[in-house]
Amino acid sequence: MHELGIAESILQRVQQEAAQRSGARATKVGVRVGELSGVDPEALAFGFEALVKDTPYESLVLEIDLRKRVQRCRACGREYESGMLFSACPGCGSEDTACIAGDELDIAFIELEDPACV
Amino acid sequence: MRVAVEEKVLNENQRLALELRQRFHDHNVFCLNLISAPGSGKTSLLERTLESMSRDARVAVLTGDIQTENDARRLACAGFPVKQITTGGTCHLDAKMITKALADWDLEKIDILFIENVGNLVCPASYDLGEHAKVVLLSVTEGEDKPLKYPSIFLRSELCVINKTDLLPYVPFDLAAARENARKVHPDIDLVEISCTKRNGLDEWLAWVSRRQQKAMGAPAL
Repeated sequence: MHELGIAESILQRVQQEAAQRSGARATKVGVRVGELSGVDPEALAFGFEALVKDTPYESLVLEIDLRKRVQRCRACGREYESGMLFSACPGCGSEDTACIAGDELDIAFIELEDPACV
Repeated sequence: MRVAVEEKVLNENQRLALELRQRFHDHNVFCLNLISAPGSGKTSLLERTLESMSRDARVAVLTGDIQTENDARRLACAGFPVKQITTGGTCHLDAKMITKALADWDLEKIDILFIENVGNLVCPASYDLGEHAKVVLLSVTEGEDKPLKYPSIFLRSELCVINKTDLLPYVPFDLAAARENARKVHPDIDLVEISCTKRNGLDEWLAWVSRRQQKAMGAPAL
């Protein structure tokens, strides 16, 4: 995956949020990365660092929340982590399960300094 | 202060993809997004597909590559509308490119739109193009462990087409293992085995397309 392009999209969203809040300074951005998303978290962190270096966003912290693949069993309702490969429900053994998490690539939150407090 | 955002990073693509999906629905266009590593046979499969269509079929193709119009030229031989999207460097097609490519086409005149993605098993998996289904191709000259190595695209595809079956006697490809691996990652994935060169298995592929099209056209409004 082209993590630098992803890092750019994240930074653009942060800039958009800061602009909407009278130029408040963004300090942290929280991103949720599922293990099936195709994004390598280390490469993303590296790309982000390279992107903000020597810019006004150099101190912006990227917090990456890694999410595992989670399946929900349609037979018994149990939710369980299944890793990259599919596995049957550890509760009832059913193979009728659905992937409910693990392919996220979301911006969860942005932390900003309250301009009034600066 | 912390502001909850809860948006996909690829939000903008998602927004455009939803618009495309709505337009396809409004104009009864059935759209498939074909994805594979370079050289698995996407263009060949589309060539065979277009050849099998009647002259008055309302089919169109968008084909993506980093460089050249070679694929569009090949596909245009069948006589249906074909357009090349040349990305210049981007390793996948995105919804913005599709929107732009469709700008001068009348969707009312298209029943089936095939999108041939850039040859890449990683990035295209994450970019919704508004399609009804993704189809992943895998050829027997690749490894049977491909689904395990690239789980994301196999998980997101409804159909896995295994191509170049005519070469099975000459390669160590384990077909049973490939099927098993695809189902390990995505138990419900449909599987079709074909040889574009020898024209084997194409009926099964065409039947899948037809069934999937009927299902799509019968679906309720978004």
